[in-house]
Amino acid sequence: MKRFSLLLMASLWGLWSMGGSAYAAASKLDELIAGAKKEGVIEFYGPSTLGPEGAQALIAGFNKRHGLNVKLNYSPSGNMTRDTAKVVGLSASGQPPEWDIMVVTDAHHGSLWLRKLHKPFDYASVGVAKDRTEYDNGTISVANQFALPAYNKKILPANDVPKKWEDLLDPKWKGKLGVINSTHHWGRLAAGPWGEEKTIDFVKKLSAQQPILTRAGEMAQRLILGEVLVSATLQDSQLHEAKESGAPLVFAEQVQPVISPEYHVGVLKNAPHPNVGHLFVAYMASADVQSIWEKYTGHTSAYVPGTTAYKFAQGKQVVYMKQDQAAKVDKISRQIGKILGFD
Amino acid sequence: MKAETRSESIWGTWPGVARLRLQGTTLFASGLSAFLAILIGLPVAMVILMSLRTGFPGEVVPFTLENFAEVYLTQRTYEVLLNTVLFAVSSVAVTLVIAVPLVWILMRTDVPFKKTIYVLLTVGILIPVFLRTIAWILLLSPRIGLLNKWLQELFSLSGPPFNLYSLTGMAFVQGISFVPGAFFMLAAAYRSMDPSLEEAAYTSGVGKLKTFLRINIPITLPAIAAVMVYLFMTAVAVFEVPAIIGLPSRILVLSSLIYTSTTPSTGLPNYGVAGAYGAIMLVVGLTLALLYVRVVKQGKKYTVITGRGYRPREIALGRWKWAALAFVFFYLSIEVFVPFIVLLWASLLPYLQLPSAEALASLSFKHYIEIPTRVGLQPFINTAILMVAVPTVTMILSVLVSWVVIRTQVSFRGFLDTLAFIPHAVPGILMAVGLAYLGLAYRDYFPLYGTIFIIILAHTINWIAYGTRTTNSVMIQVHRELEEAGRVSGASAPRVLGKIVLPLIAAGVLNSWIWIGMLSYREVTMSLTLLTRGNVVVSTVVWQFWGSGWVPQVSALGVILILFAAIVVGTLRFALSRLGEVGGTS
Repeated sequence: MKRFSLLLMASLWGLWSMGGSAYAAASKLDELIAGAKKEGVIEFYGPSTLGPEGAQALIAGFNKRHGLNVKLNYSPSGNMTRDTAKVVGLSASGQPPEWDIMVVTDAHHGSLWLRKLHKPFDYASVGVAKDRTEYDNGTISVANQFALPAYNKKILPANDVPKKWEDLLDPKWKGKLGVINSTHHWGRLAAGPWGEEKTIDFVKKLSAQQPILTRAGEMAQRLILGEVLVSATLQDSQLHEAKESGAPLVFAEQVQPVISPEYHVGVLKNAPHPNVGHLFVAYMASADVQSIWEKYTGHTSAYVPGTTAYKFAQGKQVVYMKQDQAAKVDKISRQIGKILGFD
Repeated sequence: MKAETRSESIWGTWPGVARLRLQGTTLFASGLSAFLAILIGLPVAMVILMSLRTGFPGEVVPFTLENFAEVYLTQRTYEVLLNTVLFAVSSVAVTLVIAVPLVWILMRTDVPFKKTIYVLLTVGILIPVFLRTIAWILLLSPRIGLLNKWLQELFSLSGPPFNLYSLTGMAFVQGISFVPGAFFMLAAAYRSMDPSLEEAAYTSGVGKLKTFLRINIPITLPAIAAVMVYLFMTAVAVFEVPAIIGLPSRILVLSSLIYTSTTPSTGLPNYGVAGAYGAIMLVVGLTLALLYVRVVKQGKKYTVITGRGYRPREIALGRWKWAALAFVFFYLSIEVFVPFIVLLWASLLPYLQLPSAEALASLSFKHYIEIPTRVGLQPFINTAILMVAVPTVTMILSVLVSWVVIRTQVSFRGFLDTLAFIPHAVPGILMAVGLAYLGLAYRDYFPLYGTIFIIILAHTINWIAYGTRTTNSVMIQVHRELEEAGRVSGASAPRVLGKIVLPLIAAGVLNSWIWIGMLSYREVTMSLTLLTRGNVVVSTVVWQFWGSGWVPQVSALGVILILFAAIVVGTLRFALSRLGEVGGTS
């Protein structure tokens, strides 16, 4: 009888707290919606691969879901590292950021998190699964990129395609390789499976190959033209764009481990429109966004079973970055930038 | 009204009023000098200030020489300095090798199609340098360059004959882009050159080539020297070619180091280091400006100029006419036709490809149709604002400065003239970095950061040197008698300026207005350094597209930019020529 009473009380408590938290979530959501309605606009920084149409598809879905009429101003990224640095610089100067929310990689958000430049929010309180939030509730994970050596399949003979990372150090590639400015790719390997020493040694040898140094988008063009034969790393974002236009760019898929930068979205500290920002971040965790994001950028979340990214990752050694690696990735990425000659 | 004029006239003859007027002019000139000193001095002061600080703009940190130590105790800095000098010297050499014969052919000979060639030279200036650079990559890249490929096949060469990714390659592209500017600067010297020496040489049976080398070049040497110094100053400061060709292959020059210090590819901006690099650029720029002024003065002392009204006879080229035309066509091909065709080709493709049957089958206008969606309206509005505001403000300031310098007896007018020339000695990128620092660090007093006004300000400061040189030369041609007549009849100084001087110099001022508007339209370095979400202009959109790898889209936008510029300039020049005629007859 006593056991039954305890069980009954526990059930009642559970029901009450569920109802209570559902009520709390609804009220929190209502607060955000009301705030968003007043703000009416969102300054959105996202990957250039999303494009204006993708950005407008997102805001259309967002407005439909919440019955709002928020206007989205899209700033396509030209250089995520530079723009992250800009946020840091503006904040240090006491200036508000140019954007409310930024969709950049977890490494870039790591740099922001280290400098406390997010405006955290309890996203679980508006129904976002806890395992999607990162950086102390500063961001949520949207989708995974994959980065590997890439080449033009019409130009590079099949037997020349690299099969492991070390193949890139073969002297035959001297002057024919490219390296993009996403030095956090190497930082992830350093903080993860390779360790700092091996990574630095590898990058030094890679630098000795006299690669062409440039940004990812420009590198894709150089690969398409055949000016660069292999790009040491390239994100699948560029491959997706190439595929859309019919350009023959592909990954050297045998190379492992596969680096997986994650697109995170978070509201910036002192963002001019925080309510619409948080509401939009919560929306970005929804299943609807997965399909929009895949349509325009080619990316999905590797944590959501059944998605393209999830399937791609199966059976591969994939390097994901963790929050506690942010400081190391930030430091080593800058060091690697200097070794390669970017700065 | 008549009574008022008479009374003004009576008052005007009173010595006390004349003294007051002089004081008024001095006061005005002092105010103008102070305003210009602040306008030009503040960004320069910011560069010096940031070189003595670490951290971010606005952070309160003690002064330090740390940045100078970091920059000047590193061997790389000296390698970069050497690169900068080599790049600048080679660029100027490339320019002169083409510009000097070109100016001689067009100014002194009877080569046909002169008007068309002038128009094409103007169009050449309007093609943004970075678009041309992209076109040259497609032609001269060692791996994919079409020209390299054709030459390799034609002469069965083992490797590509040209490597664009070198200092020589950079200098070639930069040098070519300087040619139209150098042409217009040298044209005046060739136009006013005394032809009697030349004619004496021909009478004595000396050939045309020998006369060109032994007579024409030595006579115009002071003008050529002045152009050399001017171009050298410009070459030290340019950014687009070093960024597109140099940075990917790690060939660094001073301007690329300043840019990467403030907008790094990895890590955070280092304004202090940029300031330390900027300090040397500032010293070099000011030294060269001083040299330029001296060379121009020397040139004026020694140049042989004919008397008023003498019109040099055009040299009949005879059978050499076609060789001269071929030279001009060769130049126009590499300056205008080829880059434009390459851009046009790239703009019609789904992705960048070399010409082939497959590529030909895939041509479409897709990227042109997509431009409104991809770019939006704001960059076009901002660009239009720039194109109107920059030349208007610049020309207002220029007219006022020139009026004081040329038309008044104010004791410090020479100082004001020098002050207005200083911006040419300060590289645009440095000016922009200084303004960005000012906007970030002192936003409460200077709330322009992130707005289009900060770009207007940067452009205005940058082109005030050009504006004042033009208005000085135009105003000097207006005889003082007209103004004196106005003053005697009792008109005030502003009234004389507005009613007499301005209408007379209107054509020249409008010409410069158009020119500065177009320079502002195609400028990218300063706009990029000051770029935020709120002040995007078309030239920075093109740059961002290139960075995102959207080459066909960049090319489509580039083609539209060039066509638009050509139409605007053509129309305004036509209208201006009508205005000039009206001015001439009145």
